[in-house]
Amino acid sequence: MTSETDHSHGPHGLGEAVAARIERRWAALSIVIVGVLVCMAAFIGIHQATMPQGRVETADPTTLHLSGEFVESNLGSALEADGSVTVRAIGQQYSFTPQCLVVPADTPITIRATSADVVHGLLIEGTNINTMLVPGYVSDLPIRFKSPGEHVMPCQEFCGIGHQGMWGKVQVVDQTAFRNMAASKRRLTCVD
Amino acid sequence: MSEEKLYSLRNPWFSISVGITVAIAVLSAVAGLIWFPLLQPNLKLSGIWDAICSAAGVPGLSTQAGAVPPAFKTSNVVMTPEMLTRQDQVSIGRGATLAQRCAICHGPQGVSDANSPNLAGQYAAVTYKELNDFKTGARVNVVMTPFAANMTDQEMRDVALYYAYLPRVPSSLVNPNLTPPAIVVTGAPMRNIPPCGSCHGEIDVKAGSPWLGGQSAVYIKAQLQAFASGARRNDISEQMRNVARQMTAEEIDQVARYYEAQP
Repeated sequence: MTSETDHSHGPHGLGEAVAARIERRWAALSIVIVGVLVCMAAFIGIHQATMPQGRVETADPTTLHLSGEFVESNLGSALEADGSVTVRAIGQQYSFTPQCLVVPADTPITIRATSADVVHGLLIEGTNINTMLVPGYVSDLPIRFKSPGEHVMPCQEFCGIGHQGMWGKVQVVDQTAFRNMAASKRRLTCVD
Repeated sequence: MSEEKLYSLRNPWFSISVGITVAIAVLSAVAGLIWFPLLQPNLKLSGIWDAICSAAGVPGLSTQAGAVPPAFKTSNVVMTPEMLTRQDQVSIGRGATLAQRCAICHGPQGVSDANSPNLAGQYAAVTYKELNDFKTGARVNVVMTPFAANMTDQEMRDVALYYAYLPRVPSSLVNPNLTPPAIVVTGAPMRNIPPCGSCHGEIDVKAGSPWLGGQSAVYIKAQLQAFASGARRNDISEQMRNVARQMTAEEIDQVARYYEAQP
């Protein structure tokens, strides 16, 4: 009996001590893993933040074309008084209007978009812009493009049987070129 | 077992744990509802209450001033999938009388060989929208504009319901063996063209899109070209111009010939 209850000796006692030591190490390892994951999430969340939208704004999807900021003639890029650019677009079955967005590089840009019918997705390849366009609500996203170039902007939310044909383009041009374009027109697009 | 009460402030474990939980809740509320929103300059918050309301998700109507007004007439029809889907015998009867003046081009049965659209069996919402757009000037046609100019809203609804009630008559050019062109069944995803059938009826119907079967090829081609060039722009928010602009002349021909041969 003594040999069974004495933990430091005997076959059972030794096994228990080893098990406890290993368990402590695994516990420490899992805490480290959890810590690394939390730090990664925090770093990515802060460094490449896509903040949840600060304001909930509504817009009636059936009357977008009648009045308000999403009428056809107001879509596209607008140069604001403070030098920033506001881009307005709508998603509908099965295209984005405008089909091609033109924006300046290295400039604060606000994308404002909504849907005219069902839920669509707005994703700009090569950036962290990725949001849903929900009918009834305005999606508002801040973005800054580092350098000129072209990005594709597919609908990334299944929106119906023609979904695969729905995508747009984003053309990033340098600031002077954009300002020259904005001098003659109030709303800019690159639809040919 | 201790006889001490568990849920009592005298129990230090209870009071400390409840205290910590409440403190976390208050701190997160202050941080999430006030501090973080106020840190975002682009939200343009007007004060603490505004910050709390916006963070809590109180919806507000989008109010962006200074919208550029359109330089041309756009359609003012509010299109919904439910629009004019209910049969109304009285309305159809009135429509039948009114439609007599349409017969010279659109045929007494809503079908004609005059290269004007066949209206028999057309979705009522479509006929109504086009009449309304002719009336407001969003769509212009030398023949149709004067006809629509004097119609009341009810008259347009009646005519639309009447034509929707008429049975579709297959044209003399029906050829069910014609293989549908790729653009109709699969579209051209690389060029931002969804399949025609995803809106125009064979696969799915989008509110406001006409049934194209049996329409004159000349008419379909002319409309696609007008959409592509921007001569016709009564499609709400460019939904058809976006598609037509990307189509090749050959595709337009194929589509026109295919739909003409459909029932």
